[in-house]
Amino acid sequence: MREFNLVIAGVGGQGSILSSHIVGDAAIRDGYRVRVAETYGAAMRGGAVMGQIRIGTDVQEPLIPEDSANALVALEPLEGLRRGVRYINPSGLIILNTHRLSPIDVNLGRASYPSLDKIAQQLKQLCKEVTTIDGTAIAEKAGSSRTLNVVMIGALRGSGVLPISEQSLRAAIRERVPPGTQDTNLKAFELGIEAMSKPIVNTRSR
Amino acid sequence: MTSHVVARDEPGLRVLLMGNEAIARGAIEGGAKVAASYPGTPASEIMETLSAAARDLGFYAEWSVNEKVAFEVAAGAALSNVRSFCSMKNAGLNWCMDMLTTIVYGGVRAGMVIVVADDPGARTSSNEQDQRFAASWAEIPCLEPSDQQEAKDMVRDAFEISERTELPVIVRSVARISHSLGDVTLGKISPPSKKVVFDKHWKLPFRWNVYGPPSTHSRHVWLHTRLPIAKRLSEQSPYNVLKLRNGAEMGIIASGVGAAYVTEALRWLGLENKVNFLKIGVSHPLPERKVAKLLQRSNRILVVEDGDPFVENQVRIIAKDVAPKLKIQGKARANTLLEPYGELDADMVTLAVAKFADTKWKTVATSRKKLKDDASSLVIPRSSAFCAGCPHIGTYWALRMALHRVGGKVPVIHGDMGCYEMAGYGVFAKSLEPSYSSESVKYPVDSPYEMLDSLYIMGAGIGLAQGTYHAGYTDGKVIAVAGDSTFFHACLPGLVNAVYNKAKLTFVIMDNHWTAMTGHQPHPGTGVTALGEPTKEGNIEDICKSFGVEYVRVVDAYNPREVQNTLVEALQQPSVSVVISRGECAQIWQRTKKKQGTPIVPLKVDLEKCNGCKLCVQMGCPAITFEPRTNKAGIDSLLCTACGLCAAVCPFRAFYQPEGEPRPQ
Repeated sequence: MREFNLVIAGVGGQGSILSSHIVGDAAIRDGYRVRVAETYGAAMRGGAVMGQIRIGTDVQEPLIPEDSANALVALEPLEGLRRGVRYINPSGLIILNTHRLSPIDVNLGRASYPSLDKIAQQLKQLCKEVTTIDGTAIAEKAGSSRTLNVVMIGALRGSGVLPISEQSLRAAIRERVPPGTQDTNLKAFELGIEAMSKPIVNTRSR
Repeated sequence: MTSHVVARDEPGLRVLLMGNEAIARGAIEGGAKVAASYPGTPASEIMETLSAAARDLGFYAEWSVNEKVAFEVAAGAALSNVRSFCSMKNAGLNWCMDMLTTIVYGGVRAGMVIVVADDPGARTSSNEQDQRFAASWAEIPCLEPSDQQEAKDMVRDAFEISERTELPVIVRSVARISHSLGDVTLGKISPPSKKVVFDKHWKLPFRWNVYGPPSTHSRHVWLHTRLPIAKRLSEQSPYNVLKLRNGAEMGIIASGVGAAYVTEALRWLGLENKVNFLKIGVSHPLPERKVAKLLQRSNRILVVEDGDPFVENQVRIIAKDVAPKLKIQGKARANTLLEPYGELDADMVTLAVAKFADTKWKTVATSRKKLKDDASSLVIPRSSAFCAGCPHIGTYWALRMALHRVGGKVPVIHGDMGCYEMAGYGVFAKSLEPSYSSESVKYPVDSPYEMLDSLYIMGAGIGLAQGTYHAGYTDGKVIAVAGDSTFFHACLPGLVNAVYNKAKLTFVIMDNHWTAMTGHQPHPGTGVTALGEPTKEGNIEDICKSFGVEYVRVVDAYNPREVQNTLVEALQQPSVSVVISRGECAQIWQRTKKKQGTPIVPLKVDLEKCNGCKLCVQMGCPAITFEPRTNKAGIDSLLCTACGLCAAVCPFRAFYQPEGEPRPQ
């Protein structure tokens, strides 16, 4: 594998950045060179957040070129749409969590949130596969809604496209999640894998 | 407690580090014994990392009250023969300019390294300024890492360069280095070995800017004896790498993260062996001979750098002598291939290199572009918002109500830097029209996010408010708002001035007990140091009173009625009035509750009582939702912190706590 590019999109506070650190950490354990870029605004919570992970033998710079993400994991559907439009490769896979977080723009009546079907349908036009899962419910089942980010990494691993070993992912989760939450997060990871472990088309090649 | 990975003395270990962590590790490997900083995105994690490792490794680290003091703490250590380090965001260095441009006249005794994290794209800054110019202005060396490994190594080596030149050295990071992660191989940790001494006559005559020979001017002459040393070091530096290719006609010069983009762009375009490439790691002073060699071997030049055309302009000066007719492209002058604003990215650089080299680069097919446009049309903005349960939500609500009562026709609120600055970001999805009125204009506001009337830099609000008052503004009340950390950082002289010069204004201090926006660092009002030691807790109300402010009141940010009534009183005072609206940051509050094992029970909406008036929505809490079809408010139970603010403002008492009392304070 020369290069695997992953975008993790979400809303501030959902753990998109931590999950991109986990994937990057695991990739290093598997011997790859890694670049992880974080994009967020000034707000502590609630803004549009994106982690970009580039894994390969010779990656140099941290930003993924347009249409070059092999996979996109969205912790929130609108954020999946926002980033998918720019980054997903035609052969790529998108996994969308279905739980919506309404921007205040919607609450104030200044914008309307597109329907989940419409989001998935538009993204499907741009790539090979779009899968939706109720990651938030799975996270609650694992013990805490805060493990959503790890559920989604599990789902990505379960889909078969992420070229990183489960063992390294588990080790990175153990190392990087807050102390005392390791067990819940590892359970979230397993449930995420389970949720996606139906056979799907391999989208690894660029 | 496990120590931070950067404290591990395991040379050769390969780990994933954030740029800021790598920078901290560089300071540790370089043997810094004193480190100081003030939080500021994208630089904050540098000191967070250092303070986490300081105890284990036995060096000193502090959060200073502001960057100027941090700079001086580091400088004082360097004069005392101790390697020292300070870090800050782009704007932070502006506070240090007086000392920076003066300390260079006497130099330093031990290595002093300043890391400044610029923010091209200004995602988390008030401007895009390029602080490499500070290095050329102060006439000191400037290094620019292209990735996390270099960030670590350059900081380590910068101490050596500082001691060889006897000058402070700037390492200029950018957000894409500081806030990106990469694989880094750790090096040896050199223990701080130098003896702490102070010697006023050390290598006379030009020391510590005190007496002795003739004039300030002669110390400037001394500074210029440093330049040849710096130039030699730049020429020999392993961070300035010249790769000349046989038969290549084009030349590219790229500095910092720009070099990483160019390296991959050349590979994607298949141009690796067709272009002469000079990677710049020391951007001030430039390695002139390496640059000249490249210019002489190339028939055209492209310069790639993040920020302003800083390297490019220096290259143009060198070209005047060695290759005056050479075509140089970049960000300066006509025919630019890159813009002198915004942040570089992979697509932008690849396209620029392709154009420069007259090579084809894939573009998005028209059919796909159409599909993308269709999808894009569905995307809606996501405005910046306060966290659910933020104390500022309560304070701004009360301020809005108080101004409604006694604010006059067009009250003016000057803002400041901190979480509460989001009151000046606006609602992204709302379109605005320019005004050409010759009168003061009041604009309708239906959220806290549109309340501020100006928003510049640390401490500006209190000064601007005085200007508005002394200009004779009578169309409404004049208000300044600032947070607790900003109060200590930059508001003290402004407030003293307001009292001294008899301004009439209301200063609202939103005290959440932490430097919250940058990640909850402690400050002089928090009662704890960077190393986690308890310390004196600065008392804002006592400070204000000691300045001569006659009206100082402290209110509970979660009691909007109390805040409102106090503000109404404050706004009618005949002189400066201060209202301190206090409420601990909701995130810290939640963490504390979690540690204590106290469950947070989200509020609920009684749909019978809710009449859809949307007052709660206008309060601006992101946990409050609204369903237009049913015309009812709702609560996102995953976000709600049970602060009770919505219950306090709802005229129909529609919000209730299913179990127990509202948020216990």
